[in-house]
Amino acid sequence: MTVTPLQGITYTCFGLSYILALGFEIARLRWPRAGLRSLGLILGAVGLLTHTAYLALHHPSPAAPYGSLLLLAWVLAVFYFYGTIHHARQAWAVFVLPVVIGLVGLSLLLITGDNANDIQVPPWLFGDTLWGAIHGFLLLFAAVGVSIAFLGSVMYLVQARRLRNKLNPLGGIKILSLERLEAMNRRSVNLAFPLLTAGLVLGGILLKREHDTIENWWSLKVLGTVGLWSVSALLLYMRYAANVAGRRLAILSILAFVLLVAVLATAHPFAEVAK
Amino acid sequence: MNLRAIGCNFQTANVELREKLAFTPERQAFAAAELSARFGCETVILSTCNRVELYVGRAQGGTPFDLDLAAEFLGETHGLPGERVRPLLYAHSDATAVAHLCRVAASLDSLIVGEGQIAGQVKQTFESARKQGTTGPLMNALFPHALRTAKRIRTETGIASGHVSVSSVAVDYVRQVFDYFEDKTVLVIGAGKMGKLTLKHLQELKPGRILVTNRSPQKAIELAGYCGGKAVPWEKLDDALVEADIALSTTGAAEPIVSRKRYLELIQPRRTGGTLVVLDIAVPRDFDPAIHDGDRVCVFNIDDLTRVREQTLAQRRKHIAPAEAIVVAEVKAFVDDWQRRKNGPVIQQLRTEVDKVRADVVQPLLMKLDGKLTPAEKEYIEGAFKLFQNKLLHGPIAALQEASREGSSGSLLEAVKKLFRLG
Repeated sequence: MTVTPLQGITYTCFGLSYILALGFEIARLRWPRAGLRSLGLILGAVGLLTHTAYLALHHPSPAAPYGSLLLLAWVLAVFYFYGTIHHARQAWAVFVLPVVIGLVGLSLLLITGDNANDIQVPPWLFGDTLWGAIHGFLLLFAAVGVSIAFLGSVMYLVQARRLRNKLNPLGGIKILSLERLEAMNRRSVNLAFPLLTAGLVLGGILLKREHDTIENWWSLKVLGTVGLWSVSALLLYMRYAANVAGRRLAILSILAFVLLVAVLATAHPFAEVAK
Repeated sequence: MNLRAIGCNFQTANVELREKLAFTPERQAFAAAELSARFGCETVILSTCNRVELYVGRAQGGTPFDLDLAAEFLGETHGLPGERVRPLLYAHSDATAVAHLCRVAASLDSLIVGEGQIAGQVKQTFESARKQGTTGPLMNALFPHALRTAKRIRTETGIASGHVSVSSVAVDYVRQVFDYFEDKTVLVIGAGKMGKLTLKHLQELKPGRILVTNRSPQKAIELAGYCGGKAVPWEKLDDALVEADIALSTTGAAEPIVSRKRYLELIQPRRTGGTLVVLDIAVPRDFDPAIHDGDRVCVFNIDDLTRVREQTLAQRRKHIAPAEAIVVAEVKAFVDDWQRRKNGPVIQQLRTEVDKVRADVVQPLLMKLDGKLTPAEKEYIEGAFKLFQNKLLHGPIAALQEASREGSSGSLLEAVKKLFRLG
């Protein structure tokens, strides 16, 4: 069997590329040179390409913890790359890349700790069965929404801190305005919540129909997702019904992301059943 | 080069005297023409609110234009005794004058280092003098060079980074909170002069609505008419603050008009929009600074804005040394180039003359030997004479170039002209 060069791509390739890209972006904060930006962008592009090639070749399952984290990291890497080009003057990468790197790292930790090949995931979760695939994609896109809301919230808190301390508006780290960051958070949660609800309801139906046991209903994955849904619902309630905005919503969005990562990092109940 | 830069600025003359010595554009053109005609020189007069300077020069030597003549001329033009003007003036000659103009254009000599207006004023002054016909080869080379130097300094150093007017800093803060202004409401409280200036900057953001309130309804209506806003009764201040996104406060009230208690009890609970940015440029302050939280409400008072302005100026001052280094390099480049230009015609003439002499010698020789030489041999003989000529001229030309680099080519140039009988 012949091995193509693409098959040699590992976590190291894209993980290291992202880390170096982040290094150049941090250096650009101190020394704003066009060369550093170009180097950061080139390395970011290399990371994204190798990451894409890895996903295309290895087809990690979105139901497996390492797979879902890797897929989410890829979507956020696209988000990083788009944002870095679109918001050239902002310190975009400095906020997004650490999340991408963190997710890749966590995925690596899970793949080594629990060999991916041993994880038995029902075929319908790979997309062989339409409803399973829809369930997976709904939750993946909801996860993207929650992650973007998280990034917007972190940037919001940093910008609010700068304003609170009345720092020189043209000095230091360049971040989008509070208005734009709040809009980013609002749109992401507005998008994530219906997707999360639909994904959760569909998952519940599939669980009831296929593997209806007490253990499955009380699994960490299911409980965590319900918790995530509750936090998202609370976010919407606070924004639209209680007229709460700003810092408090940002903190809640960060909590939602922490829950999301915990949910993604835990094993899927169906995978355990298949074992 | 025979160049003088003579004038006064904010460091040597107070504003009253600067006002007396200032030129209106019409008087400036007339005075430049008069000075040019009287002394047979190229003239540019730079007159801004911070300086009045005469740039006088001749491409070739001539009587130097000195401080006394400048004082006499300025006094005569403005109806002041020359002896009163004389102590206010400074003078720079040749390379120092070039450096001075570069520093002026790059705003290194300005009251606010790095300010952007002066380069435009220098450019405008030069253009108008050129149109008037008071410039010549020296000024036509000097002013564009100084403007290029200023541009280089602005691009390569951080001398012009940030904003240093209180109004601009206020707008920079507003931009940290908002991106879109079409749907925003600006509330103007009071009608102070500083407030009008900041309002002008805020109007450039094209806000959706401007509300104006004042203890005097008449003043509110007047200001609303001036800025295209809507006057709101003073009693409705709380309602207006509930609707506002940006509040610009500039009253002359002796005590804060919006206390923390009033804001938290009467205004904050009724607000449904986003963050409120308060630009409190009144002294004493109109808003209790304790309202500020950097999230739902941001209050920036005159001290905050001035502090940022000072930080920016301090930051700019760090770039003075690199900017001065650029000035030194550019002055050297200009002086070298100018000397080369001055020597260029003489060197060209020298070459042409010696070419003619060589042709007068070689052509008869080749005619005499016609038929005895192959084309290659003819070419060799011609080449040998050319080589001889080049070696002979190398010494004088190199000496001229060296002297021009040292800025002392004048006497050598005259010697070369005499030695080789150049017209």
